[in-house]
Amino acid sequence: MQRTRSFGALFAVLLTVAACMPAEPEQGIARGEALYDTCVPCHGPQGQGNEALGAPLIAGLPQWYLENQLEKYENGWRGGHPMDTVGIRMRSMANALDLEGDRESVSEYVASMPVPAVPASLEVGDPQAGQQVYQTCIACHGPEAGGNEAVQSPPLVGQHDWYLLSQLHKFKRGWRGVNPNDTWGQTMRPNSMLLSDEDMEDVVAYIRSLDQTEE
Amino acid sequence: MFERLAIQASSFAGDIDGLILLIAVLVGFWFIVAEGMFFWLIWRFRERPDQKSQYITGKEKHLKRWVTIPHALVLVCDVFIIIGAVRVWYDVKQHLPEPDTVIRVEGQQWAWVFQHPGPDNELDTGDDIWTTDDLYVEVDRTYHFRLSSRDVLHNFSVPAFRLKQDAVPGRTITGWFHATSTGTYDIQCAEICGIGHGVMAGRINIQDAETHASWMSENATTTAAQ
Repeated sequence: MQRTRSFGALFAVLLTVAACMPAEPEQGIARGEALYDTCVPCHGPQGQGNEALGAPLIAGLPQWYLENQLEKYENGWRGGHPMDTVGIRMRSMANALDLEGDRESVSEYVASMPVPAVPASLEVGDPQAGQQVYQTCIACHGPEAGGNEAVQSPPLVGQHDWYLLSQLHKFKRGWRGVNPNDTWGQTMRPNSMLLSDEDMEDVVAYIRSLDQTEE
Repeated sequence: MFERLAIQASSFAGDIDGLILLIAVLVGFWFIVAEGMFFWLIWRFRERPDQKSQYITGKEKHLKRWVTIPHALVLVCDVFIIIGAVRVWYDVKQHLPEPDTVIRVEGQQWAWVFQHPGPDNELDTGDDIWTTDDLYVEVDRTYHFRLSSRDVLHNFSVPAFRLKQDAVPGRTITGWFHATSTGTYDIQCAEICGIGHGVMAGRINIQDAETHASWMSENATTTAAQ
């Protein structure tokens, strides 16, 4: 009788512990917020990015763009070039989102984050000359550099200038936008190849000048 | 014995397993003897009615023998372990056999980057093949690897080879291996290197000569251009 009571008590304790265990949140912002803990060391608690680690601002980027990029990283379509140290780092982290719905959830959460203003860091580039260069970009990224989902072009305005410049260089060098599965990246690459180093600095300075929320 | 538990895919995997077995047997023997004696003494001198405990100083010769004799025997065992360990250390870490091929391995947060020489078998030439997380080697060839890190400490670990080597930022460390069986085996980072350490996994693809030559000819031109 005593033994039966002991087993009963043990069972009740185990049941209580099981009931108190946090359940996996359903797909959505709550789950995305929990997953975002993995992103904080590089992208920061506000998603503001970190130049020292090459991590861009991601807060407030469109959900479709975030999902697309995570998919590209997971499949090695982006961050697959052996010289792209920063991209490789992100690819590894994207692979950690291994459950169904992880990618969508974290993208939804990041897209919902308020966009922090980021300071300019580059002292090079002529915005006026950049405006001319930017005419090529308007077709996809829009006149205000706000992006266009129809052609999978991300918004550029509000992004760190050092990041924009680094991505232009990566496209031109063939570190990004070369994988046959990265259709839209392959579209961007030829456009970057038309630009000289000076053109890149100018166009980034111009995009920077479009940002009215600058600190 | 270990071959049944974990495949041995390098020429020195058996030596390392043999050393681990030697240590396990000698240490295990003394562990069992010591525990057996310990519990026997507890039982032999258990509490009995009207028996007082004794105060033992340990100075008497017949008591000291219980320490000195096992101590001497353990030291003899240590000699065998040291001889075995030094021999394996020399063969695996100190002595580098002449390489058939030299490759470059770079660790970074959180992936492995490999530079293979192309068909010319020379590193840093136009036909080099770069890969991320996948290393391709030919079976029954001796490879030297030049190991470095792009950022923090990593450890290039190939369990099937029983190979582990730290990758230290600022240093290039040369090691070697000789793969003995074809197949795909894990490469892992065995040094905590940041939040993505757990996903820093790669693969070593050990191919027969024909498959490797075919892989090389397919990839030499495509990656050289990047």
